[in-house]
Amino acid sequence: MRLSKDNVLTLFILSSSIVLVGYFIYVFIGWNVLISFSDWVGLTPRYNFVGFKQYIDLSNDPVFWSSLTNNLLLVLLFVPGSLILGLFLAILLDVVGTRGEGVFRTIFLLPFSLSFVITATLWSWMYDPSLGVLNTILNSFGLSFLKSGWITDPKVALYCVILALIWQFSGYTALIFSAGIKSIPETQIMAAKVDGASGFEIYTRIVLPQLKSWVLASFVILMVFALKAFDFIYVLTNGGPGYSTYVLGLMMFIYTFFATHFSYGAAIATILFVTVMLIVIPYVLRVRHR
Amino acid sequence: MSETKPKSEKRSWLIWVLVVIVVAVVTGVGVWYVTRPPPPANVLEIYHWWTSGGEKAAIDALVAVFEKEYPDVAVIQSPVAGGAGYVMKSVMKSLVMSGEAPDAFQLHAGYEMKPYVDAGYLEPIDDLWKSEGWESVIPPVVRDMVNWGGHYYAVPVNIHRANVLWYNKKILDKYGIDPATLNTWDGFFAACDKLKAAGINYPIAMGGQGKWEIAHALEQIFASEGIEFYQDLVNGKIDDPNNPKLVDALNTFKKYLNYVNPDYAALTWDQAVAKVIRGEAAFTIMGDWANGEFFVANMTFGVDYGAMPVPGTQGMYGLVIDTFEHPKGVKHPENSIRWLKVVGSKEGQDAFNPIKGSISARTDADMSKYGPYQRSAMQDFKNAKYMYPSIVHGSGAPEVFAAKFNDIASEFATTKDVSAAAKAIVDAISAAKSEYTKVWKLY
Repeated sequence: MRLSKDNVLTLFILSSSIVLVGYFIYVFIGWNVLISFSDWVGLTPRYNFVGFKQYIDLSNDPVFWSSLTNNLLLVLLFVPGSLILGLFLAILLDVVGTRGEGVFRTIFLLPFSLSFVITATLWSWMYDPSLGVLNTILNSFGLSFLKSGWITDPKVALYCVILALIWQFSGYTALIFSAGIKSIPETQIMAAKVDGASGFEIYTRIVLPQLKSWVLASFVILMVFALKAFDFIYVLTNGGPGYSTYVLGLMMFIYTFFATHFSYGAAIATILFVTVMLIVIPYVLRVRHR
Repeated sequence: MSETKPKSEKRSWLIWVLVVIVVAVVTGVGVWYVTRPPPPANVLEIYHWWTSGGEKAAIDALVAVFEKEYPDVAVIQSPVAGGAGYVMKSVMKSLVMSGEAPDAFQLHAGYEMKPYVDAGYLEPIDDLWKSEGWESVIPPVVRDMVNWGGHYYAVPVNIHRANVLWYNKKILDKYGIDPATLNTWDGFFAACDKLKAAGINYPIAMGGQGKWEIAHALEQIFASEGIEFYQDLVNGKIDDPNNPKLVDALNTFKKYLNYVNPDYAALTWDQAVAKVIRGEAAFTIMGDWANGEFFVANMTFGVDYGAMPVPGTQGMYGLVIDTFEHPKGVKHPENSIRWLKVVGSKEGQDAFNPIKGSISARTDADMSKYGPYQRSAMQDFKNAKYMYPSIVHGSGAPEVFAAKFNDIASEFATTKDVSAAAKAIVDAISAAKSEYTKVWKLY
């Protein structure tokens, strides 16, 4: 880059942001990796180099494997779940057209505009096995054989979490897809109609193929969320019963701040960081190459 | 937007923007000047996690004593909800590390103090202990729990008992169960079977939302294996997953879980106590802070409900001790010391503890102010053969182990896999090896 007058000015204006972001994000990521190779326990930094000890301890920790599995399950179920439901809602919005779109869009987006702490508390009330609305409804419709312990049953607890998260996120993905659908030129749809395409064909042949980049963008956002999920689960189940709804973000928090085991927490953070990067980097490369 | 506008129009635009900015700045400064915060007042800011009914009333009573003594000091209470302080623990650590420690905060005695003491965030208060004469009225085991490296770092405000079995007396009377038969696990489980046969499907109420409620029950079962075993456990000396006492305790807990409400993971400790109050369950194992819940529910000790040591722990007193301390560099150091004086005073303790359900950490407490449960606890405390520091409540073992212990107990409650839990406990101890710096002498 040639240092023209313009470039100097640009650099000058950006410098404060570059320094702040560089320090508070990149330096601290590096610091976190450094801590993960130490044996820091307690509230004073301690940098005795112990190599991969924390990582080896992690590999022997059943909570870690359970957390990792749960994160993967989130990726496998929550991400496609939110994408499919979001797409469905977006198409519904498109079909409804301008008549009710504003109202429905607001309704769909409402869950996402609420804080996780609030929605998690609401869901924890609904899932409550003895007083919750779910079991009460099932009871009153004579479907008590469907009653479940929900979040108190380790076999289904994680699926309860995933269901609630899909509910919260699908409105958001619907909004993204709906913007995508709007960006498709009206003329293409018209042309297809003239050629005699059915509504179904218009969506499968014209709309969906053009939503690819929107799907990819939502996919990355959802993936990153699925990996760093924390607050919702912390409030809803606290990782329980047992290890059944533990995720890496929660484990990192608990072992860092409750156990004051900073090096262990840092090792979990590093693993989380690497996993997120494995997803984000290919995406960024793809977008740049386009 | 590519067409160029005439120069004069551009200029008038700029003037408008400038006018808006100037007006905004002037109003902003004006509003700030009028509503700016008053100069630092004479306040005392304390953090604690006493938010449930009985607990809140207790801390308010203690604060009232302080306000009577120092009427010109405004007390700011910052309660952080979450049983056993599991939420506040993390809040406090970040506040203290960022140099924003309040004038005093609630902290469990024992290992929970270690990170703060090690990092130099607490001031030793040996002089205060001397001038207030606390050494002569606070028993030695309790003193040891707030003493690190020969220095006092905190003032105990109460003594809670961890190993209490609470029961709904009306239910036991109805089914002819004599509490004296509950002294052993065999007797206890026989009573549970009897209640189950009578239609009470889940005679034991347990919480588990915070996971520590489960670990709390398991901890008392560990204590029932004998003080030698418990001492080895808190000193990090259990290294064999086949340790017969470890395995036996887990088997007892496994059996115990058969009688526990299946929705435990959705309940907090006080909701579990409420089950006993309502008569949906007959028993719950919880520390004696539960007494406050019975108290606010207008239950009478010895008539509506009763309490006794957890089976197998007769003559033992599981210690859960809350303290306040003097953090380094606080904003109102003088008020912080004044608060500690009130916390350690006879008057302060006798205002706080009768409501809280705990007993005074001082041996000269005014018995007449305490309820019947506490009077019996005071008697037990005096006659206790062994005292042991609770792991779950931050005292007995390093936090690295204590955090794991909650997870292990909670996982065991779902899998009931004895050998996996035994191995997990031994692994957790060995992972925390270097943190066991205190050597407990419990017998």
